[in-house]
Amino acid sequence: MGIRKVEVSDAELVRRVRGGDIAAYGALVARYRDRLGRYAVHMIGDREDAEEALQDAFVRAYRSLARCDDPGRFGAWLYGILVNRCRTVGARASRRRRLFVRNTESAPDASADADLVDRLGWDDAVNRALARLAPENREAFLLKHVEDLEYEEIARVTGAGISALKMRVKRAREQLQRFLKEAEYV
Amino acid sequence: MFEHADSEIIERVIRQLRKPVAMDSGFDARVMREIAADTEVSRPRLRLGRWPWLAAAALFAALLIAHPWSQRADVRPDYQFVLVAPNAASVALVGDFNDWNPARSPMRATRAGIWATVVPLAPGRYHYAFLVNGVEWRRDPAAPAALDDDFGSPSSVVTVVGKGS
Repeated sequence: MGIRKVEVSDAELVRRVRGGDIAAYGALVARYRDRLGRYAVHMIGDREDAEEALQDAFVRAYRSLARCDDPGRFGAWLYGILVNRCRTVGARASRRRRLFVRNTESAPDASADADLVDRLGWDDAVNRALARLAPENREAFLLKHVEDLEYEEIARVTGAGISALKMRVKRAREQLQRFLKEAEYV
Repeated sequence: MFEHADSEIIERVIRQLRKPVAMDSGFDARVMREIAADTEVSRPRLRLGRWPWLAAAALFAALLIAHPWSQRADVRPDYQFVLVAPNAASVALVGDFNDWNPARSPMRATRAGIWATVVPLAPGRYHYAFLVNGVEWRRDPAAPAALDDDFGSPSSVVTVVGKGS
């Protein structure tokens, strides 16, 4: 009775896009935008850069939709593209930040760091701890624990082996605990 | 006890990081604008055709033959791509140069399962692959594999060197 929203599958939307229906791609963008955006923001640490990486991933995916072997797993395929874009954009942003710190006389020194963190909330402390992880450890931790992907899926998306991924996640957990303890947030 | 406390810290971190992160309200429009502009230029019609089973594998040598017929600088030289696939019902060349659209560069069987097509290429570095029977991606066995591919399917790289470079 009444009106019921019918969820169209990824496979059906991909089929429509391949048939020339661009609007169907808009539905895929809306479906994955926020979830993938969360990954990009946490991975890169800068919202503007994250949006650039995400936009780039969506456009590249559209241009290469014929290469999506299993349209029913469009989301996983899109994750793979985004992970690569985040690596590229993240590396560029990291170089830019290093340059910025070197060129800025007022950059905070290490001794002031703890005080600074004290003034920030728990949310900022988590983001700062996350940003201190090595990119490959941060990537594995986010995909496993935040995006909730299985190790097999993460291996496909990142190209890394499962045992290496488990080690990265373990290191990330240990380092996050240490960084937050250093910041006296636990 | 410490282990339990550590685990609680991580659980708290995960809860924090799982909170929704909303993208900018104009995000979808920006993506769709870029795609629409793309479509205006190239009109992609991505059709993969039917999904028949691929018969026995038949990947072997491929040839990349340049035809520098034209000496005019404003004309892109043609390059012939060849794949040996005796059991294939159809083969298409897809790559950066045709928006990975199989409809734009179908290959023709010349003889004994040798598939070929010719495309004009300006100087540059291109990723490409062969789409066999509309479903199977093959990289070119005679060309370097693309190591920096974003899409998880096999592809190859060809570099076209410009005049004077």
